[in-house]
Amino acid sequence: MTQDELAQKVNVRRETILFLEKNKYNPSLKLAHDLASLFQVPIEELFIFEEKGEISG
Amino acid sequence: MKRTIILFVVIVLVLVSIAVWLLGTSGRFNFVDMFQFGVILVVVGFALFLGLKRVGSLKRGEPAEDELSRRILQKTAAISYYISLYMWVFMIYLKDRVTMDTEQLLGTGILAMAVTFGVVWLVISRRGIRNE
Repeated sequence: MTQDELAQKVNVRRETILFLEKNKYNPSLKLAHDLASLFQVPIEELFIFEEKGEISG
Repeated sequence: MKRTIILFVVIVLVLVSIAVWLLGTSGRFNFVDMFQFGVILVVVGFALFLGLKRVGSLKRGEPAEDELSRRILQKTAAISYYISLYMWVFMIYLKDRVTMDTEQLLGTGILAMAVTFGVVWLVISRRGIRNE
């Protein structure tokens, strides 16, 4: 799946997907949930909450 | 789509205002006028770039704005506001020490605010937003 296709499926811009992949953006809970639902995995498998409060994808 | 149209309308209005101003001055420009004219063109170019980016997103079937673009805009607005506050304090300090019309000073201040917004937007767009 390309970034464009993924972005369209979760109704965000391609730039948002790019930023998520580069760890430059922490998604909202809704977006995290939508992505997890799309890939049929738990949110924890896609996004890791680190001790210092940052979320890495 | 509505916001994109409004953006292009504002760009056209600014360009028309520039044209009216140019016709009104009858070719008598000083350095400050030329500098301000250049900065206005840069700001209009930046607005045009944003507008075309939005149109490109819409053509690709993406939303014109999403959570990331809105957060970038909010953060940009907040930082630009703080910078502009200090900038206006500096402009008031400068007013008594520089021979400049009040209108020119105001115009320069407004342009500086627009440039500040553009620069901050560029920086935040490159860095991204994390841990907020």
